[in-house]
Amino acid sequence: MASNSGQKSHKIKMMEEQLAKKLTRQVVGSLVGCVHCGMCNECCHYVLTHPDDPKMTPSYKADQLRKLFKRSHDWTGSVIPWWVGADTAPLTDDDLEKLKDISFGTCTNCRRCTINCPMGVDTATLNRMMRGLLSHVGVMPEGVRVVSKDQWEIGNQMGVLKEDYLDTLDWMSEELEEELGHKNAAIPVDKAGAKVAYAINPREVKYDPRTIKKAALIFYAAGEDWTMASAGWDQTNFGLFSGDDNLGGACGKRVYEQVAELGSERLVISECGHGYRSTRHEAVNWSGHPVEFVMESSVFTMLRYIREGRIKVDKSRNKEPVTYHDSCNLARSCGIYEEPRELLSLVVEDFREMTPNRTENFCCTGGGGAMSMSEYTPRRLVSGSIKAKQIADTGATIVATSCHNCVDGLSDVIKHYKLGCRVEQLVDLVANALVLDETERAAAEEAADRVVAEVTRAAESLPLAGRTVLVVDDEDDVREFLTTVFADAGATVIGAAGGDEALAKARAEKPDLISLDLSMPHKDGVETFYELRKTAETEDIPVCIVTGHPEFREVVYERPVPPPEGYLEKPVNESKLVAYAKHIIEAHGRKH
Amino acid sequence: MEHEPSSILATAEVIHWIALVVMAAVYSLRLRWLFSFKLAKDRSAPGNPARSDGKRGARHSLLNVLMPWGMESTRKNFGFYLTFVLFHLGVVAGITLAFVSTVAVGFLKIPAVFVVFELLLIGAFLIGMYRILRRLLRPVMRLISTPDDYFSLTMLTVWFALGAVTEAYIYGMVAFANELILVAYLLLTSFFLLYVPFSKISHYLYYPFTRIWIGRALGHRGSYPYSRS
Repeated sequence: MASNSGQKSHKIKMMEEQLAKKLTRQVVGSLVGCVHCGMCNECCHYVLTHPDDPKMTPSYKADQLRKLFKRSHDWTGSVIPWWVGADTAPLTDDDLEKLKDISFGTCTNCRRCTINCPMGVDTATLNRMMRGLLSHVGVMPEGVRVVSKDQWEIGNQMGVLKEDYLDTLDWMSEELEEELGHKNAAIPVDKAGAKVAYAINPREVKYDPRTIKKAALIFYAAGEDWTMASAGWDQTNFGLFSGDDNLGGACGKRVYEQVAELGSERLVISECGHGYRSTRHEAVNWSGHPVEFVMESSVFTMLRYIREGRIKVDKSRNKEPVTYHDSCNLARSCGIYEEPRELLSLVVEDFREMTPNRTENFCCTGGGGAMSMSEYTPRRLVSGSIKAKQIADTGATIVATSCHNCVDGLSDVIKHYKLGCRVEQLVDLVANALVLDETERAAAEEAADRVVAEVTRAAESLPLAGRTVLVVDDEDDVREFLTTVFADAGATVIGAAGGDEALAKARAEKPDLISLDLSMPHKDGVETFYELRKTAETEDIPVCIVTGHPEFREVVYERPVPPPEGYLEKPVNESKLVAYAKHIIEAHGRKH
Repeated sequence: MEHEPSSILATAEVIHWIALVVMAAVYSLRLRWLFSFKLAKDRSAPGNPARSDGKRGARHSLLNVLMPWGMESTRKNFGFYLTFVLFHLGVVAGITLAFVSTVAVGFLKIPAVFVVFELLLIGAFLIGMYRILRRLLRPVMRLISTPDDYFSLTMLTVWFALGAVTEAYIYGMVAFANELILVAYLLLTSFFLLYVPFSKISHYLYYPFTRIWIGRALGHRGSYPYSRS
């Protein structure tokens, strides 16, 4: 019994009850084993980049849970709490807000402190448990709440609707077939008995659908008997980030049940650090669901295909210098150190090791769900200076990684620190190095026919012919560039330099698509988007966010209105922009 | 017994042995308490069996203390690691001194033994002083320190100093020729034994378990032993 139990808020009492249910021998060991030696201090990227803020030290963060534990469970702490620091354990709901900032805003659960603790204290697990207790009483960053809600209710963390998901697979199938020049490469959906089921990150559907196409190309080239499920396809798991084991178990169970229903022997998990860790390991424990099939990262799959001679690669197709960023979840928590490097050695010419690497690599800054917590973005970007230096020191122009969170985290760091390089996943590099032999020859012949057909078709109708696009951007040169791209694609383009002007023109012109910048003076893109959605005349106009500030992304998706139909980061590729715009307009037309 | 203890010294020796028995009993309860919590088992298939497994991870983790090159925190702070080693050897020397003084005091009069004990105890005392200052002066250490941290460290540091003086007394250095030194040392050791199960000093009781558990967990996933280029 805590000496001051009478002052505890209801939420604190609920947290203590939940803590008692969650305590395992290993967790208790980590709670009582810390000697406050401070050895974890210099291992944390938040500490190293905030040298004047002692509260960044990992043991301080873990102490928040430790105090709660000691007040209720420890012999000394329950009798003389002040002696062991339990007197400052949280009591009020205001304290919970501070705890939220500590556990969500100053730690990415990268586990670098864990591996550097002489006592074997798993500080990252303690921080996750604190997040879980806070989530249990509804205290969490808004982004975490929204994403968790989507994953509970819609079945994937980005709220992708089934029709949009299937539509994207169709779109990628069409592109792939077009590129290969025949109709045998469509992505198989719900193919019962397929040997391999492929699960992806909803980010791929929403922001980066071509990774799906590239994976499909590799499966096709390997002659794999594979499929993607129409449900239970999201291998990501926000339960890992929010600390909610129930959500974590439910997410895993959806995937496991779907693979079992398809009768697949193997689940291949696309490149995602936390998704792999959750689906492959944690959710098995959270859900208690039996798993009868093999689960592997797509990194292993691609490497296996090359080793077995099922696909051929030509590393000379990737000439740029490449470095590899170890995802915290894949490396420190799942032991995937060498396989990505072996794969890279086969598909790139110039590989440069990052220092430190493997176990000792630093977080991309986007781990632990940090990308969904925009309120902590400035602090996160400061903590990225270590990563920026690591990348810059390699001299690489491509940072390869096997994790979607890392793609976003690293992209932010690269942009913020103006590093002049880009992030790619291994699937991108493998697909680029792929040698397609006979198929490729056939494709070349087809391509010649296609060029003729396309020239003819282009003359008849450009991709956006007959469409009206409203380009909203405060920067003149960007607006001019976008206007030119859309106009060249046949669209009638209207420009707007600010939010109010955009709203007025949207109401007046009813464009087929609005290309919307987020960072603008006065009424920014987020507010503009919200008003567009809240206004009856414009609520139905599809919006594609085109922004140079990906950190604002979650702010848009947090709004209680339907999400934007598209999202692109600057700088945008012209053909991608047009293809994406065409896809959005057509998909929107089919729905209505 | 190689000396004729006075009644006060005999009493201190009895208290000392009683304290040891009490400490052992309380430690048993401590372990029973720890083991009353359910053991979390990893039901997932081994993560990367080509690299490691639970048993290998647990073994390596338990021996981690002997491999300062294995962790960045000890590799980059090798000096601090050495102070850790000497500090804990000082603890071993201090405990040994207390028990041997009651059953085989002649051993402590061997010159080589005397030198070793003095070096360890004085060294540990100096490190204790350094650690107190480190804890007081560094904002990070102040932030994470509790009264128990300060008290435990101060008590041990005083105990090291008293141990060094006690060994000098036993060895026969004239300047320290007072039996009360040994009495005080035994009483302080008794208090130390009674206090440790309720303080941070009990970390050594948990240490093998925490190391084995983290090693087994990460070994099962294939991520431990650690990998770096």
